Amino acid sequence: MSADRKNHDMTQAEADIALLLADATDGVEIGTAPVQAVLRGGRRRRTRRWAVATATAVVVLAGSAGATLAVTGLPGEHRAQVAHQVSDVTVPQVSELAHGTDQGKRWRVVLSVWAAPRDRAEAAEQLKAMRKFGIDGGALPRLDELVGKTSHYTGLYYGDEPLRPIMFDTVTKWEKLTGHELESAGVPLTEEDGEGANRLVVGMVASTARLVECTFDNGTSHFARPTTAAGSPVSWYVCLAPQGVRPKTAEVVK
Amino acid sequence: MGERKDARDEEFQSFMIGRWPRLLRTAFLLTGEQHAAEDLVQTTLEQVFVAWRRVGSADDPEAYTRRVMINAHARRHRRKLKEFLAPKDDSGLVREVPDTGDRIAQADDRSALLRALAQLPPRQREAVVLRYWEDLTETQTAQAMGCSVGTVKSNAAKGIAKLRAIPGLADMVTQGGRN
Repeated sequence: MSADRKNHDMTQAEADIALLLADATDGVEIGTAPVQAVLRGGRRRRTRRWAVATATAVVVLAGSAGATLAVTGLPGEHRAQVAHQVSDVTVPQVSELAHGTDQGKRWRVVLSVWAAPRDRAEAAEQLKAMRKFGIDGGALPRLDELVGKTSHYTGLYYGDEPLRPIMFDTVTKWEKLTGHELESAGVPLTEEDGEGANRLVVGMVASTARLVECTFDNGTSHFARPTTAAGSPVSWYVCLAPQGVRPKTAEVVK
Repeated sequence: MGERKDARDEEFQSFMIGRWPRLLRTAFLLTGEQHAAEDLVQTTLEQVFVAWRRVGSADDPEAYTRRVMINAHARRHRRKLKEFLAPKDDSGLVREVPDTGDRIAQADDRSALLRALAQLPPRQREAVVLRYWEDLTETQTAQAMGCSVGTVKSNAAKGIAKLRAIPGLADMVTQGGRN
């Protein structure tokens, strides 16, 4: 078990698992730390990073023009995307990925992309702006993690409720998705859906993906057309399972 | 300038040597395999080294390192061609209350736990390892995983519930060193 275990309020089951985990690590052969290999690898990465940074600057310029797109979405739901060009680290590029109505309440899924702050001062300003935007404490990165990195947040507005985070990350560069690769996250649409009933699925796919199939546990499926979003090199899709039905899989099919 | 760089390199080296055993153990629980764990820690530390000028002077380089490691681990599991949003074994377990008073039996060999961990989806595995091996708070775990506290709670609870439900693990007899 971790030597400086703080023993936060654990149930017996959790405490047992903690001990089992500690037991399992006894089998690890620690060996000598490969310091020189790590330093060599780090220096290679550093060199590569400069090369990538130069190439990325060109791509950002090419992709920064504003756009208005209309895309189709779920039955009974309308999707539109409004993008605007910004360079201020306190003003995100915001795109609506999908919206609809559920039990008489409107919902919207939005993506906000935040430019990389150049220093701690800019990062501090960005953190403030993120809080103001509605990104809650648990989803906020640390100040130190923001400098030189871009952040993206997908969040859900449901009725009058505050923004609820769905998937988010702070990265030096975006994950490159190709072919049929995808990354998804599911959340309940409403609190009434209950724990584990992640009816709303949001995901990122390669910009070349044209169609995502979401299957549900009642045997039905839904096809979502991925949409581009301002500031994002990947496309995004949204699936919503009917009430009482859970999503099962998501797959790029075209 | 050269001297400062040398000092930074030395500082990183001593950080790395000091943290290597702990990071390797955490990586082992995440990957379930010695070589994969070494590979994960090495990749992580290479990235930390690249950012060391900034990270080394920060309050908590260890937290940064954890975040990098979790990201690297997640990335390896991210390249999916099909996302299983509700695995079959999820049904029923997610509604299970974690503490019903009974006790998990202790595994008499490590492979039972590693097999059980391997059956968890990556995010649940990360949440369990960070919460119950690294002993992080929910907030610290959320920071390391880049998600909300609610997601951590949900993933950790599901992970624990599933571990408890795996016969190979639950059937193990509780040993004396449990207190």
